[in-house]
Amino acid sequence: MLKSYLPALVFLVLGVGVGVAFTFANSLLGPKRPSKVKSEPYESGLPSDVRKSFRFGVSFYLVAMLFILFDIEVVFLYPIAVRLEEVGTFALIETVVFIVLLAIAFVHVWRRGALEWK
Amino acid sequence: MDTSWYVVLSAFIFCIGAAGVMTRRSPLVVLLCLELMLNAGNLALIAFSRMLGNGEGQIFALIVVVVAACEVVIGLGIIVGMFRRRLPIDVDQMNELRG
Amino acid sequence: MIELAQVVQAPKIDYQGLAPLFSTIGGSLAVLMIGLFRGRFVQRTLVPAVAALALLVAMGMTIANWEAGDSRPIIEGALAIDTLALFMSMLFYVTGLATVALSLRSDVQREVGAGEYMALLLGAISGMVVLAGAENMVTLFVGFELLSIPLYVLSAGYVRRAHSLEAGLKYLVVGSVGSATLLYGLALLYGATGSTDFRAMAIAIGDTVAVTDPLLLTGVALAATGLAFKASVAPFHQWTPDVYEGAPTPITSFMAVATKVAAFAVTLRLFDYALSDAQVQWGPALAALATVTIVIGNAGAIAQSSLKRMLAWSGVAQAGYLLAGVVVGTQLGLQATAFYLAAYLFMNVAAFAVVIACERVSEHGDGIESLRDLGRASPLLAWPMTIAMLALAGFPATAGFIGKFYLIEAVVAGDYAWLGIVIVVGSMISLVYYLRVIAVMWMGRFEVELPSFPPRRVKAVAGRSPEADARAQPEVASVAILAAAATIFFGIVPSPLFDLVSDVGTSFGGLV
Repeated sequence: MLKSYLPALVFLVLGVGVGVAFTFANSLLGPKRPSKVKSEPYESGLPSDVRKSFRFGVSFYLVAMLFILFDIEVVFLYPIAVRLEEVGTFALIETVVFIVLLAIAFVHVWRRGALEWK
Repeated sequence: MDTSWYVVLSAFIFCIGAAGVMTRRSPLVVLLCLELMLNAGNLALIAFSRMLGNGEGQIFALIVVVVAACEVVIGLGIIVGMFRRRLPIDVDQMNELRG
Repeated sequence: MIELAQVVQAPKIDYQGLAPLFSTIGGSLAVLMIGLFRGRFVQRTLVPAVAALALLVAMGMTIANWEAGDSRPIIEGALAIDTLALFMSMLFYVTGLATVALSLRSDVQREVGAGEYMALLLGAISGMVVLAGAENMVTLFVGFELLSIPLYVLSAGYVRRAHSLEAGLKYLVVGSVGSATLLYGLALLYGATGSTDFRAMAIAIGDTVAVTDPLLLTGVALAATGLAFKASVAPFHQWTPDVYEGAPTPITSFMAVATKVAAFAVTLRLFDYALSDAQVQWGPALAALATVTIVIGNAGAIAQSSLKRMLAWSGVAQAGYLLAGVVVGTQLGLQATAFYLAAYLFMNVAAFAVVIACERVSEHGDGIESLRDLGRASPLLAWPMTIAMLALAGFPATAGFIGKFYLIEAVVAGDYAWLGIVIVVGSMISLVYYLRVIAVMWMGRFEVELPSFPPRRVKAVAGRSPEADARAQPEVASVAILAAAATIFFGIVPSPLFDLVSDVGTSFGGLV
């Protein structure tokens, strides 16, 4: 009976393990170039004190739009996840095709410089 | 609960969206109202799917979600383009083309 | 939780039937990637060549798939091919090839990037092919959006010009209202018939669902409205002239032809197949729409001084003629609509090609003035335009005449004789503006009276040499000449096209 919870446990251990591993790997391996901006509480490209007259930059919208698109596409994986066992190999191939299509879109966006913050 | 209430609610949302598209002047709000119209369709699809007991409506709704996102992103892209050209962002002032 | 009743399995896929779609979608991805390289050769030659190759391959595979008779599923329960889908696909590919040729020298390609431009074009064509073969509401909607969304972007193709951005935004808003209305209509149809599959819908209507079911009728009305937006059927046509004028002209020509063909392909399938048993209910309503469309389109075209706007209004009127073929819901109506769509393609491509050639060199842009004295300056452009205008007006010995004749025959046989009269009267009114164009071209020395709108200052796009003629833009001129030749050819020897559309007529088994 308890055996059926084993995958959940494995999932938990893997999740925690990978998270911890990457946290430490970052501080061990990553380059360290501290600057004033980086030490501010939020460093996601926006000043942390927002004034009334503040306007979002155009780049912000660009990245936000790309985020929405790539984010929402994942919705197509839900039906496959629900019916994975019945559909089997075909679902795997479909998913691979889907990921390749997203990758092509990503390469295009990247090479055209839409991900660079201006 | 009876399915018909969900359909009535979706019809109201659809009408609110349609009215918004026709009366609002800011293209951003027009895009929001378009989302309302599409999501009214989604609500109706899911309500019918539950009533009929088959999953076709749910799959349809998932696809509509993605399509709606695409439309809004294109709309925002064009609006950003107009903003960069410093064009009036107001659908009533768009008179470059004689209507 | 809902228990899904049916057992889910991998669908059966007929890869040979699907091959044309793979070709256009693969071509779209390929040009997108190739377009990332910045060389002049890549941008000006390689990308259009790959796009044209993808279309030609798709065309070849479509011909190989041709087989008369009832529809065969290619993705079980989602896509089917029958002669209607294949015939319409051929029209899309032909229009696509013409658009690739017309865009070669267009600066919109440089502004958007050749790769993106061609990728969007091929994406829109893929959407149209999906739409023509959809046998399920979900596929219908996906195809509808796959065709619309690239066109929103392409209409805004001149990203640095206000009028193009405005056209794109207008098209997006109106198009999305159309999609949302279509979606809501489809949702109601799903609720009424209990299925998203056209075959199951056709069986349910009149059997388990009464044809007067309010949910069904509301659904039909909303779905028809949504499609009417895309086909620019009055009173949902107001966006058409603005968007056609603001969009880059090669895209305008693509929208005017391919989008209309796609909208009618799906209208035929939805109404004459899935909803054919409810024809007594929607027939009179669509007949009224067709009448309004013919009247408004022809009346609107008379007052236009811009060629693109005039062709937009004339396209509205043509949509009315085409709708008449859908109204009767018979095999003859289906054949007549398919025939007229093919004729419509050739006439419009010829006209738009000449408009493109002239607006590039004339200081009047796309105004009718830009054609003044074209008959003397470059007869190679003037003749195709003349043929296109005569064919659109329905002169004998052109494909337009045969098409209209066929349509009138179909509506009279379907007990809508009065609609035939409306078509004839509409064609007579249309002579006013079609003949004016011909007069401007050939009687340049006499002053032809034109609608008195204040002249719009339009900068000539390229070239700017008033002596430039057909020889300066060989690809545009050859598209114009080929399309005009086809218009004449099918006007005098219509039998090859007749054979094709009689195959198309067999697509829906149940039609009389």
